Amino acid sequence: MSIAKLTFLTVKIVFVHDHREDFSCCESVWLTLHKKREELKLMKRKVLSITMLLILSLVFTGCGNQSNDSAQNSSDTIKVGALFNQTGDQASLDVPGLNGFQMAADEINANGGVLGKEIEVIAIDGKTDQNVCANGASKMVDVDKVMAICGLADSNYALAAGSIAQKANVLFLTSGATLPELPDQVGDYFFLVPFGDNIQAYAGAEFVASDLSAKTAYMLTDKGMDYTMTLAKFFKERFNEINGADSILLEDSYQTADVDFSAQIERLKGLKVQPDVLYVASDPSKCGVIVKQMRDRGITQPIIGGDGYDTPLLTELGGEGANHDVYFTTHASLENPSEKVQNFVSTYKETYGHEAENAFAALGYDGMYLIADAITRADSADSAAVRDALLVTEGFDGVTGKISYTDGNRVPNKSVTILTVEDGTFKFVKEVLPE
Amino acid sequence: MLNQRDKKLTLVSLVLLALVLFSLNQFLPGYYLRIINLIGINIILVASLNLTNGFTGVFSLGHAGFMAVGAYTSALLTVPIAQKASLLPDLPLWLMNIQLPFAVALLAAGIMAAICAVIIGFPVLRLRGHYLAVATLGFLVIIKVLLTNLDDFTRGARGISGLPGITNSWWVYGTMVITLYVLWRFLHSSYGRGIMALRDDDVAAQALGVNITNHKLMSFCIGAFFAGVGGALWGDLITVISPNFFSFNQTFLLVEMSVIGGMGSLTGAVVGASLMTILPELLRNLEGGISLMGVTLPPLYGLSQLILAVLVILVLIFRPQGIMGRWEFSWKHFKKHNKEEI
Repeated sequence: MSIAKLTFLTVKIVFVHDHREDFSCCESVWLTLHKKREELKLMKRKVLSITMLLILSLVFTGCGNQSNDSAQNSSDTIKVGALFNQTGDQASLDVPGLNGFQMAADEINANGGVLGKEIEVIAIDGKTDQNVCANGASKMVDVDKVMAICGLADSNYALAAGSIAQKANVLFLTSGATLPELPDQVGDYFFLVPFGDNIQAYAGAEFVASDLSAKTAYMLTDKGMDYTMTLAKFFKERFNEINGADSILLEDSYQTADVDFSAQIERLKGLKVQPDVLYVASDPSKCGVIVKQMRDRGITQPIIGGDGYDTPLLTELGGEGANHDVYFTTHASLENPSEKVQNFVSTYKETYGHEAENAFAALGYDGMYLIADAITRADSADSAAVRDALLVTEGFDGVTGKISYTDGNRVPNKSVTILTVEDGTFKFVKEVLPE
Repeated sequence: MLNQRDKKLTLVSLVLLALVLFSLNQFLPGYYLRIINLIGINIILVASLNLTNGFTGVFSLGHAGFMAVGAYTSALLTVPIAQKASLLPDLPLWLMNIQLPFAVALLAAGIMAAICAVIIGFPVLRLRGHYLAVATLGFLVIIKVLLTNLDDFTRGARGISGLPGITNSWWVYGTMVITLYVLWRFLHSSYGRGIMALRDDDVAAQALGVNITNHKLMSFCIGAFFAGVGGALWGDLITVISPNFFSFNQTFLLVEMSVIGGMGSLTGAVVGASLMTILPELLRNLEGGISLMGVTLPPLYGLSQLILAVLVILVLIFRPQGIMGRWEFSWKHFKKHNKEEI
């Protein structure tokens, strides 16, 4: 056999499969090659198992290292968790939230920290996924040993993460979820930084009754969302208190996925007595669409809504229609001339290269300062002591207004800002503190 | 089907699993235990998905719907009565006043999911391929809308919170072992052989006397049963459930695990579920910005999703049948290699 043929067969037999008959001429060559093949198989297996072992050991040492690091650092820094949905549907609210939170922490550290210690922010992306949020909270609590967690603008995710913090008795401040009953659902370590939906709906009702001297109202509500249902419920409650039981002329509704509101508009036009104002409780994606369709169909009454309107989408989708008598209640106005707000606005622009996207940046910022303030007053970074201090917070001067937690209530008593739209930008109208 | 040696080996490995779980429960902090529990739950979910998608060839996208049914059923049965009164004041009295042991609730969760599977299975399983996939997706949408609007039972979009959180490693891995055992026995029964036959060639299978509708429905129901049980465990682990959680994303995550592990194999389900639960958690450490040998990387959120997506694409290109393909774990592979006589 020629050498070339032998090499070819060797390759074939080792790597492809055995062809004993090819070797009919020399049995012994086949035997040796067969042995080689078996050895190679064994080696492959060994290599595979060694790689697996290596990967496993890497994983475990990786985990081990981390916990060692955190143990060493725990004495000279105060660890605070920042759990925001940086990716996914919630990102438009939570990315500004984390920016504001991080900015506040940097400011505090630049001014010497709290109790002489630096604040270390442990940021985890919740990915708009309840599992990831829950795992993230669990990691912060068990591995990083944070004393407080702040974040999450949606109540469902805040519930998932908050209950884990609650179990470990770690403070949890939600930066954006506004359901007033959240703290009672989770437990005594759960606080809201924003006002509850009841407060902003009350503020809306009081504003239209006093400033727009409305005696009658029409309501349109998204039936598929808890946020809008809560807003509508409390607006009606307060408006009825002020103007009597028959003051709501029509309560209409739509489903979250609806895009055509002509049926609702026809019903509104069909009313014998036209209402003074229209309260439209909708989410960020629909407010602009509704406003545009109503204005296009010749409806001119003032439209008022909740903090869901605090989004560029209102003017982008609402177009010219949004410029006429559209008001909404929200957390803060970045136009507010107070020094605190203007400092925040300019620092934010310096740090991130653009204006703050919305009020959620300010809420994240206030969240960090609320924690720092409570730590200072408690004179300790122990979660229980800080919680007790936070519970008696009074008149804390934040970007989003004066924040007080009164009578053991973990939903803050704070002022509501009312904005309107002029030439495509949001203009400050007034700040109110509803009873 | 197992000989004496294999039985012994299985027993030994079960005892080993219990010992490992026991020691992990002693020494590991809660976060790691949580991940370990999540792996177990995902194995239950993916194995049941593999039964319908991989073994029966009924490509269902409604798995998250069955999870939702299971999760809500067990939540309604296990939330303490006092809490129910404040959370769900409009519940019918008989539901209001019961609180069942977790095991019974899990069973009920599975049964409810299986009942749903029968109801939608009758019309839907007559469809094939894409039509069937879209129809099961429709089921998922229906379940979500129902959960959002049945305010009296589910609190709508607010979701039910304060589930008791009984789920621990023992519940998860106990259920997982039972699930895998039942599925394994089913697949090795004449029914199991029947569904695999109709997956490969339904006309030939029918000619051999396999009743297509019955077989498909049975595997669909068993898959849904364990999806319901898995969903119940999952909800109890997170302690909050809301209609949003059982979205198309959740289904897709499970399908992804099953495709990566190998759709036609229970071993594939175990591998896929473990891998796709652990990897995102490990990759998360990269996201927060790390410093390695003096070089500090800024935080890059979304990086882990990118890496995972690339991995999925690579697996699909180079190993479209999944890591395990149709290969099953068996003690036979560990037999001493007889010196092949030449």
